[in-house]
Amino acid sequence: MATQQVEAAAAGHGAEPRGKRSDDGQATYLVAIAEALWEEMERDERVFMLGEDIGVYGGAFKVTEGFIERFGPTRVVDTPIAEETIVGMAAGAAMEGLRPVAEFQYSDFMSSGFDEITTVLARYHYRAGVPLPVVLRAPSGGGVRASNFHSINPEPWFAYTGGIKIMCPAFPSDAKGLLKSAIRDDNPSVFLEHKALYRRIKEHVSDDPEALVPIGSAAVKRAGDDVTIITYGAMVHKALEAAESLAGRGVSVEVVDLRTVYPIDEDAVLRSIEKTSRALVLYESFRFLGIGSEVASIIAERAFEHLDAPVMRLAPPNHPVPFSPPLEDAFLPQVADIEAAVDRLSAW
Amino acid sequence: MDTTVETDPAANDRTLPDERLREILYLLKLSRYLDERLEALYRQGRLPGALYSGRGQEGTHVGVAYALEARDSLFPTHRDLTAQLTKGLDLNRVLAQYWGRIDGYLRGRDGNSHIGDWDGNRTFAVMSHLPIAYPVAVGAAWAYQRAGDGRVAMAICGDGATSNGRWHESINTSAIMRLPVVWVVNNNQFAYSTPNEKEFAVPTIAERATAYGIPGVRVDGTEVLEVYAAASEALERARSGGGPSLIESVSLRWRGHAGHDPAKYVPRELLEHYMLSKDPVKNFEAHLRDRGVVDDAAITEMQSRVEQAFEQAHAFALDSPYPEAGDVSKGVWVEDGYWRAEPGRGGGTDAG
Repeated sequence: MATQQVEAAAAGHGAEPRGKRSDDGQATYLVAIAEALWEEMERDERVFMLGEDIGVYGGAFKVTEGFIERFGPTRVVDTPIAEETIVGMAAGAAMEGLRPVAEFQYSDFMSSGFDEITTVLARYHYRAGVPLPVVLRAPSGGGVRASNFHSINPEPWFAYTGGIKIMCPAFPSDAKGLLKSAIRDDNPSVFLEHKALYRRIKEHVSDDPEALVPIGSAAVKRAGDDVTIITYGAMVHKALEAAESLAGRGVSVEVVDLRTVYPIDEDAVLRSIEKTSRALVLYESFRFLGIGSEVASIIAERAFEHLDAPVMRLAPPNHPVPFSPPLEDAFLPQVADIEAAVDRLSAW
Repeated sequence: MDTTVETDPAANDRTLPDERLREILYLLKLSRYLDERLEALYRQGRLPGALYSGRGQEGTHVGVAYALEARDSLFPTHRDLTAQLTKGLDLNRVLAQYWGRIDGYLRGRDGNSHIGDWDGNRTFAVMSHLPIAYPVAVGAAWAYQRAGDGRVAMAICGDGATSNGRWHESINTSAIMRLPVVWVVNNNQFAYSTPNEKEFAVPTIAERATAYGIPGVRVDGTEVLEVYAAASEALERARSGGGPSLIESVSLRWRGHAGHDPAKYVPRELLEHYMLSKDPVKNFEAHLRDRGVVDDAAITEMQSRVEQAFEQAHAFALDSPYPEAGDVSKGVWVEDGYWRAEPGRGGGTDAG
């Protein structure tokens, strides 16, 4: 994990995360997530957290710092390093009416709990009608030189389980509002927090504990007329950077942030394509069978008559995330790659 | 730590009134008859799907489940149908599940003994990836501990599942947290075709408990009261804050892994020994006859009740409609309300 500037100092153990906002009242992506957890823990005593090192230590990324002092060890549960058991435990507690939020130290380690995720969490309600309101939180994504086993974007795995909602927010407000929605939702969900955004992105977030972002709803983060970039997670920020640069060259780009990648907000995608007639699907999971592959299919099936160019995808190749900076930079889509892709689309 | 306990069946049954001993015998007989009839129907091509016989292991299934209270939860395997019946499942709805009908507990979304009735009888709907329910039982037990209400979770798996990492993760976690859970291993000596010596290198499964810092016992799974006594002791320990226990209940799987498997890998002498000398149903009946708890007339009446229950449930299943095909994609998400409403009954039966 690359060391990065911590935007706001810890406000002290047992104090609410809102105290960690910057002097001008902005919350980082990390603080916004902590605020969501804190507020939902306060609102509903059925909500509890479990995971490795989340108690006294405060979590691998310090998201849950100060929670155990406020909520105690029966609501901030340190577990052994046993991912299958963490997921199964969450499922069992949910069956008894609780609302568990399990933290994984890295989304890469979700593979160690995968059977309980795909076989129990995703299928139980369809089979047996018992709701499993479980949230699995995990830091995902690359670009921070974290190498093979701390950098993946596993969202397609969970989309293929057929019964789990998946959120990949790009902004602090969306992260806070979506996590609160996930905790209140009666279905299991995977909430992927892009680790490159934790301390890098900040903005004003709502103080209203009822400010929710609906699951399954995309948002236009920049309006434009010529080309639509459909994306999510950290790639939203690269898309916005590319759009700004392209605007200087007279190309008007619309950026649609999916926010929830399963289920996908198809109508929001189609509305934008009807306007721009050109689609670049940008994503950080593997190009082959990634979330963007499905977005491209939706556009091809439902918006063919609106297209002036083939749907284009930009995403990493299907192989492990490498460590060495030039390798990781070559692996991940960069702003220059996005601009080049938009230029190719515009040339049609 | 001593990992074995010697139990005296004669001592155990003094704690149970005759009426309850007769109830246990009824459950054993129902288990046996159900198993035999389902197999016959399967072989005749009249039962769809798969069949997992629990024959020879009725002492384990009835023994552990009979010790549970209604408020306790049970996390069984595909082999443990009769443990679920002992817990209270309705045979009519069980057979409706076998025939893929809407009145089955899972409305046709799963079949055979992959059954459960969480809202009613607190049994977890069985899954194949054993011991997948062990970690889930940890979570239920954690909820009971948090509530402090004296409930206990019990999970069952087979000898083969003890080789899987989750078995160790779950027992270890439950021991660390001192959770109210009882871990049962139905050691029927074969995991599909794999014998015990290819699943573990220690002499018994029970002695593994020592390594996790919890009590472990090995009982004769063909002696229902011995199993019942061990389960009762473990449940009482869990209920009173004493943490988890491990019970290894040893019997033999008389039939194959599933209906298609002739199980030729089971040595003939071993099978004969168990079938002739260690039949949990016959032996318990003989025991109760010796003690004067049942006589010929009582046995005849009991057997007739068993057969009647089966015939009635079989008819109920065949009369129950199939699920409506248009409902196939409902109930993935809670909010569509499929599982909260009565399902459609327009799917028809084989009779039309």
